[in-house]
Amino acid sequence: MTGWINGIGWVSTMGCGRGRTAGLVPIWNDRLAIPARKDLFAHTDLRFGRLDGFSRTGLAGITMCLRDAGREEWQDKRAIATMAVTTSGCLQTDLDYQATVIEGDGKLASPNLFAYTLPNCFLGEAALRFGLTGNSLILQQNGGADLDVLSRALEELTWSGSIGVIAGFCEVPVAGLACPPTGYGSLFVLIEGIPDPQSGCYGKLTLTGNKLFFNDTPLASFTHLMDACFTVTDRRV
Amino acid sequence: MKQVVLSRSALVTPLGDGGDTLWQQLVAGGTAIAPLTRFATGNYISSYAACIEGLVAADAESLMAPLLERVAEQMGPVPADCRLLIATTKGEIDRLETRSRAGLAPTLADLPEAFIRQVEQRFHLPPGGLNINAACASSTIAVARGAALIAAGQASAVLVYAADLVSEFVFSGFSALQALSPHVCRPFDQQRSGLNLGEAGVALLLLDEERALQNKAPIMARIAGWGAANDAHHVTAPARDGCGLILACRQALSSAEISAEQICAINAHGTGTLYNDAMELTAFHALFAERLPPLHGIKGSIGHCLGAAGAVEVAVGARALAEQLLPPTVGCRNPEAVSDGRVGEKQQPLSGDYLLCCNSGFGGINGALVLQRIMS
Repeated sequence: MTGWINGIGWVSTMGCGRGRTAGLVPIWNDRLAIPARKDLFAHTDLRFGRLDGFSRTGLAGITMCLRDAGREEWQDKRAIATMAVTTSGCLQTDLDYQATVIEGDGKLASPNLFAYTLPNCFLGEAALRFGLTGNSLILQQNGGADLDVLSRALEELTWSGSIGVIAGFCEVPVAGLACPPTGYGSLFVLIEGIPDPQSGCYGKLTLTGNKLFFNDTPLASFTHLMDACFTVTDRRV
Repeated sequence: MKQVVLSRSALVTPLGDGGDTLWQQLVAGGTAIAPLTRFATGNYISSYAACIEGLVAADAESLMAPLLERVAEQMGPVPADCRLLIATTKGEIDRLETRSRAGLAPTLADLPEAFIRQVEQRFHLPPGGLNINAACASSTIAVARGAALIAAGQASAVLVYAADLVSEFVFSGFSALQALSPHVCRPFDQQRSGLNLGEAGVALLLLDEERALQNKAPIMARIAGWGAANDAHHVTAPARDGCGLILACRQALSSAEISAEQICAINAHGTGTLYNDAMELTAFHALFAERLPPLHGIKGSIGHCLGAAGAVEVAVGARALAEQLLPPTVGCRNPEAVSDGRVGEKQQPLSGDYLLCCNSGFGGINGALVLQRIMS
């Protein structure tokens, strides 16, 4: 199975970024500033202020990814799937919502927070903003967030009618829990069946058996993928 | 492409343990929706839900563990080379609630991967299980993904384990969203006023059909087609034109290589909310035009089992095809006029080989499966 990485976007410890304009390889660690609307959109966006931290972080990564690929603007809905792996998902939102339940014995339960106690809701936010009609799902696995999500994305690209898959990870701090191995933040890549003829691409992603390769080199981690993408000299087409 | 079959199922629902019990109760028009006793409901807009009898958790632990035990015991051994796909939206949320009320911070045991390990261990499967969270379409999409794995030759056996609970966490949220019915819900009824929550634990064993035949394994139905699509419309409300559901169903029909005319029945999501049921009827009319097949929904009998809903409905759909009978839609006393008399509180005989099963969820996601009757 093969796909081409046509866009990369993220929220790292240094803030929102994307592959074609970043000077430095992004770093994810135990520090994260949850993105604000102005970090992402020049225009007002009434919905953004209602989002929980997990959704803001995930939506920002997907937005930057589509912007990087030149696909942020759209007229007709597009058969692009979204897929994210996460360790703790929206657990902090769960805790925040549960606090509103406890506060008034249920009378003050927040309908807005409750809507974001499903971790896939930020994928819905991305879908409605950018007209993405492909499958959208969150993956959680034993061993935490890892590159398997890119393997699952290549499967989705091969087996479904989607023209592309936006796949990556999203993690935000949860009170009382240690930072996951990926660090906090998000990273999303747009994988499509062909290299983008206008914007160019970062390289070829291949799944052979259970092994994932980027430009025919075995991949070990998201950081490794970023290092490899940043060595592609013609990415700023 | 390989053919995929549903070989075995194990179900624990509010209508009892086992597929036979559930089927008999559904056909008889039974309902398990009743006033809740699990937690106080005085501050919510409803006091009704469908709970599983006899679920008891160890001190401050989750009801998911005894539910898993009951399902696994009923299921029996599964092939050691099974790929495991789990479908739960909130997992062990009841334990998180207990800890929050006690002022305790979450621990690693509250993360989904801890639950994945439990399921792996209980079914004696190696690490590598994956939880698919696609809201109320989670298990539909897990079955679709399992079928795709087998069809592509990436696996020859997949176990889908789906489970969700009636918890105050979720109940209070749907209450705050004004989505709960204050009475027993009435899917596709003109006077419907919301949903009732339910809970279930389900295991579905999917096999490569060749393997099933070689091993003389039972076959309940073929998973002939599948699809998934997003409305790209709203996070908590369905698109009124049913665009995402239409797309998912068309994908399922296309991958099954059949036309809409070959569908003899629909197992609809049918939550009983005003907008969901209207959206589904709109979508079905777009798909089937004047030839709407008989349809039903089971949420008036067992409530809305969230991430497990689709898995229960796949097992029920397979049985409906085998029996050539569609159970009544409990609560649908005055069907919506646009349902063309195809849904109601009476059983409906079927005549055909293909059944469409679909679910939709928060985040705008829709999943659809085509089940095919296999003649023994």
